[in-house]
Amino acid sequence: MINGYLNNSRGIGVRSHQLILPSVVCSTHLAKKVADQVDAITFSHQHGCGIIGPDVAGVNQYFVALASHPNIQSTVVLGLGCETLQGNEVTESITAHHPETEYVVIQESAGMAGALESSVATARALQENFAPQHTELKTLTIGIEGFPESALINEFMRSAEETGYKTVLSNASKEPSKNFADLVRSKCHVIISFPDANQPPTGLPLIPVITIASSQSMLHQALISEFDFSSSLTASELLQKVVTVANGELTKCEAKKIGDIVVPRMVRSV
Amino acid sequence: MNLQSNDSQLTGFLRKNGRWGFRNYILVLPLHNALNQLADQVRVHHPATAIITSVAHDWSGEVDSDWARISRVFSGFAINPNVGATIFIGIGTPAEEEILRNARAHREMPITYLTLKDAGGFERLEQQVMESVSEVLPLVASVKREPAPWSAMVLGLECGGSDAYSGITANPALGVASDKFVELGATSILAETMEILGAEHLLAARAKTPEVGQAIIDVVARYEQSISYEGIDIRGAQPSRGNIEGGLTTLEEKSLGAAKKAGNAPFTGVLDYAHTPTEAGLYFMDTPGHDIEQLTGFAASDVNITVFTTGRGTPTGSAVIPTIKVATNTEMATALPDLIDLNAGTIADGTQTVLEVGAQIFEEIVAVANGKLTAAEMGGHREFNLSRLYGSTL
Repeated sequence: MINGYLNNSRGIGVRSHQLILPSVVCSTHLAKKVADQVDAITFSHQHGCGIIGPDVAGVNQYFVALASHPNIQSTVVLGLGCETLQGNEVTESITAHHPETEYVVIQESAGMAGALESSVATARALQENFAPQHTELKTLTIGIEGFPESALINEFMRSAEETGYKTVLSNASKEPSKNFADLVRSKCHVIISFPDANQPPTGLPLIPVITIASSQSMLHQALISEFDFSSSLTASELLQKVVTVANGELTKCEAKKIGDIVVPRMVRSV
Repeated sequence: MNLQSNDSQLTGFLRKNGRWGFRNYILVLPLHNALNQLADQVRVHHPATAIITSVAHDWSGEVDSDWARISRVFSGFAINPNVGATIFIGIGTPAEEEILRNARAHREMPITYLTLKDAGGFERLEQQVMESVSEVLPLVASVKREPAPWSAMVLGLECGGSDAYSGITANPALGVASDKFVELGATSILAETMEILGAEHLLAARAKTPEVGQAIIDVVARYEQSISYEGIDIRGAQPSRGNIEGGLTTLEEKSLGAAKKAGNAPFTGVLDYAHTPTEAGLYFMDTPGHDIEQLTGFAASDVNITVFTTGRGTPTGSAVIPTIKVATNTEMATALPDLIDLNAGTIADGTQTVLEVGAQIFEEIVAVANGKLTAAEMGGHREFNLSRLYGSTL
């Protein structure tokens, strides 16, 4: 059994993070200050302004996907004011499904000190008004990233499905942080990552990532203590770990806050 | 022109490649996004935190069609003259070694390269980076500020969140200061290619040679073509919605105002993104208008001070370049005081002339070069973005 969180309108998650979402690069610095003060998650990025064509809708949709994830309990969108992707529209797209969302805009907050103060107050009010409750999570969705050994992963997926869990695979890229975008959209609760031989273990702020080292990688062998598992594990050990992590145990990347969110883009900035 | 340059004196840190810095940072530069947090922790926790700077980014080691651009930015950023020593932290890959080689080839300075692979773990690596900062600290501190010639200045010109005042207040006043620096033998760089679209013929007419003039026309045409490949029209995104709210009506109007930042001096040359000017004079650099991609490109090109005019107000800054914010209107300068260093709105108010504000900007640049902190520096702003082309071959 998995003891999850009823994250308000977002459904049942295995974590209950508040997301401070900078809707433009210009507010990422403020977002970090706010997140540090209210114990929320955030990320630095370079998007939201100077974007063109399909990226305007694409970046917006990805921000909405992050804010809609079941491991998120509430969202504060931070905008600058004059950017291409308007923060109030990002906020409206999120609020349409998730009312636990607020918007603060720097250019209307009397400067950075004012914006920090109102963002912190807004974030705290959301945390108080929409406190998550513990509840049982029946259908766990497990994301699998990278290039696992087929015998192990086939057996793992079979036994996960027998237990009633769903699995989603993503390995379009060699870089785990790029594959994570698909998995965020799939709303998976936990990710198992099998990084490429030249990639370090990498996590994600909103989803716990269990990392598995490759026996073929000199890098992974040098860093073996930073992975949750060496490759010589069994499918049942892995499933047990997934359940333990879903119940609250921090993965190694989660504990050390390793890894950032990478936003997919298609066209150069203007 | 009544600029006080006779009484002013630049002071800076002379680097071994002949460039001058106006700050003397130790830069902790992560070469993988999994190391962003570690770099930040070192900056915050080391006792010398006041002179340590660091950045975060989304690169995770991919060597794709944007590799040359990314590699150049990392190596150029690391050797910006405002940096006294750089500690690269990486995973331990051949791509990282290429960045190192390029940095070392262009400047003799303390450069350290520490890898996760050699350290065997995040804590051990963090400890090694902390020790490495302590080791280079005396070397960095031993370089003292000294009187610098005007040619020490490599000025970056930037605008962001423009409004209808930009072209008549802050931008022409910055142009006055830029012209003065160029006249004194310094270097000044105008950029933001899509924000001179419609004004490029006026800039080309100021080129020192026909080749430079043609190059200005060509970079604008090339950029516009590079984003038209999917049938996108730049005029659909420019002026931006913030610009329109600020009273700008067309891209051409925005461009005519943006170009004013470069005053009236002749253009010495055109630079590709993140390429370094080799002699003094006024340049045009081919960059996105995206504020931070531009600022990061400047940092990789030896720019040591940037003046950033803004109509709507923006807080951003660079991890290595002091960035002076000049407001185009008094209303915004008053409403957002902790974002702004200087108000050029007084020109529209009728209380100061363009020349007077130009002289003030000139003196502010000198003061900041000599150590005065900007609003962005006091706010701890260190935005850093990698500029990618995403497969565009132009």
